[in-house]
Amino acid sequence: MLLKVEHLTKKINQKVIVDDINLKIYQGQLIAFLGPNGAGKSTTINMLTGIIKSTTGIVDLQGLKPNDTEYHQKIGVVFQNSVLDQELTVKQNLLSRQRMYKKKSNSLNYWIDKFHLEKICNQKYKYLSGGQKRRVDIARALIHQPQILFLDEPTTGLDIQTRNLIWKILNDLRKDTKLTIVLTTHYLEEAEYADFVYVINHGKIISANTVDNLKKDFAQNILNVTTDDVQGVLKFLVDISYKIQENQIIIPIDEINAIVLLNKIKNNISGFEYRQGNMDDIFVNITGEKVE
Amino acid sequence: MNGLLLRNLRLFFSSKTRVFFSLLGALISFVLYLIFLRKMMIQTWNSFNGTVKLLDLWLMGGTLAVTAIITTGSALSMMVEDRENSRLADLILTDQSYTKIHLAYLFSAWLIGLIMQIAMYIVMQSYFMLADGLELDGTIILPVFLIMVFSSLIWSIFNMVLLSFVKNVNTVGHINTILGTASGFFAGVYIPIGNLPNFAKDLMKITPVPYNAALFRKVMVNDQLTKVFNGVPQKMVANFKQKMGLIISGNSTNDMKILLLSLIILSVLGIILYRSNKNMVVSKI
Repeated sequence: MLLKVEHLTKKINQKVIVDDINLKIYQGQLIAFLGPNGAGKSTTINMLTGIIKSTTGIVDLQGLKPNDTEYHQKIGVVFQNSVLDQELTVKQNLLSRQRMYKKKSNSLNYWIDKFHLEKICNQKYKYLSGGQKRRVDIARALIHQPQILFLDEPTTGLDIQTRNLIWKILNDLRKDTKLTIVLTTHYLEEAEYADFVYVINHGKIISANTVDNLKKDFAQNILNVTTDDVQGVLKFLVDISYKIQENQIIIPIDEINAIVLLNKIKNNISGFEYRQGNMDDIFVNITGEKVE
Repeated sequence: MNGLLLRNLRLFFSSKTRVFFSLLGALISFVLYLIFLRKMMIQTWNSFNGTVKLLDLWLMGGTLAVTAIITTGSALSMMVEDRENSRLADLILTDQSYTKIHLAYLFSAWLIGLIMQIAMYIVMQSYFMLADGLELDGTIILPVFLIMVFSSLIWSIFNMVLLSFVKNVNTVGHINTILGTASGFFAGVYIPIGNLPNFAKDLMKITPVPYNAALFRKVMVNDQLTKVFNGVPQKMVANFKQKMGLIISGNSTNDMKILLLSLIILSVLGIILYRSNKNMVVSKI
């Protein structure tokens, strides 16, 4: 096990921000903390990285505690906001941060190459676009070759190309170096890449499972049929749960049964849509709340 | 720590506006002097030859003290910027300890203060050379340099103490504005200390500012003072020194002692405060 967290709790002025969180994270995993704004995700990450002290609880990274200096060598952090120096160029920024680590790692050029930063290398950080900044931020977090990368809402506000590029690089890194990634997100599609998802709400883990299991338990596939003959269709829906919305019938059902059913009702319907259950369904079903 | 130091220096000098505005308080005292303060002062001491050069040197001394105060303050505003936008948290996550990060801020402020004093000295000396024919006195360069080193250190520590718990850039802006204005008065650059009412004098004397200015002035005007007051009764010279703030607490040795004491008190305070402010300035909640 790479990172073990037990009973992690943060109280501020008697208010519980993070409530008794337990985590087991293994090398090479991609872990997602999913939850709405203000759920306590960032506070949890900040405690895991050692930026804020926990009120109670244990964080253990192969025997190291967050306030050990060696702990810093093993983790990389991408903050929600950009934390690099606006007035320095990309290269100066990366170089200055690299110098602050004792252990020397891959050359700067390796990261510049990996994150496609050649063209913007000598531009001041403040003149970069949001996506460019984010790429530099992640390069900075990896510059000392950490074992775990913490990403606090890494792709909020980025366009889809940048998001894909970032994920391609991160996935490559996971394959090549067994990099462990812990990310917080309120983008459900981002959590779908994860090996394991912790759903956090009001500072508590309300569900912890693999994406597949979560889907099985909380997000069934949905068949949505459109019909002018609602009663005609309902005759075939014996022992099957459904919901009616005007001329639409929403039926949670797996693929095989959907085909069988569709065959039976094909003359009664004017159209249908079949979609995979997604993280939105999971979140809504677990919390009873909607994610924005 | 070299990486941090280099970063801080680079950040400061990469922004021209930052460099310019850090010097603004000092430039104002210089310009005010040129526009009208000089004329008023010359009228007071006009019965002597060479008063102009004497006052030029006197002004340079006070302005250098002001420069040390405000440029170190403005250098340390970077520290607060780092706190405000979690850059400090990012720095702490490297292998550098909080102590080293703190010392890097201090050293960079010290160096910046020194460099800016040298720059200000060159500007003023060049101007007065051209305007008033003030020659460069080679013998004072080393002592003045040493005072610059000392002044920059004491004011770096002072500003560090002042900004111990500040984590908002706006607040630093206000503090530096007040500091910039006040330092000119406290150094006795706008109005010589001798012309002030007693209460104001006493108020000035409980800060290290006038002693610092006195140290600069004493060394800088020394030669010119002997020239101007050649053959003039000792009492009158002493009067000049008192009025113009060349001596603050009776004699120069005392002035020096007070400055050293201030340095010690500020250092102790700095150490105590830095140990207690970590959680507050890093934490984002």
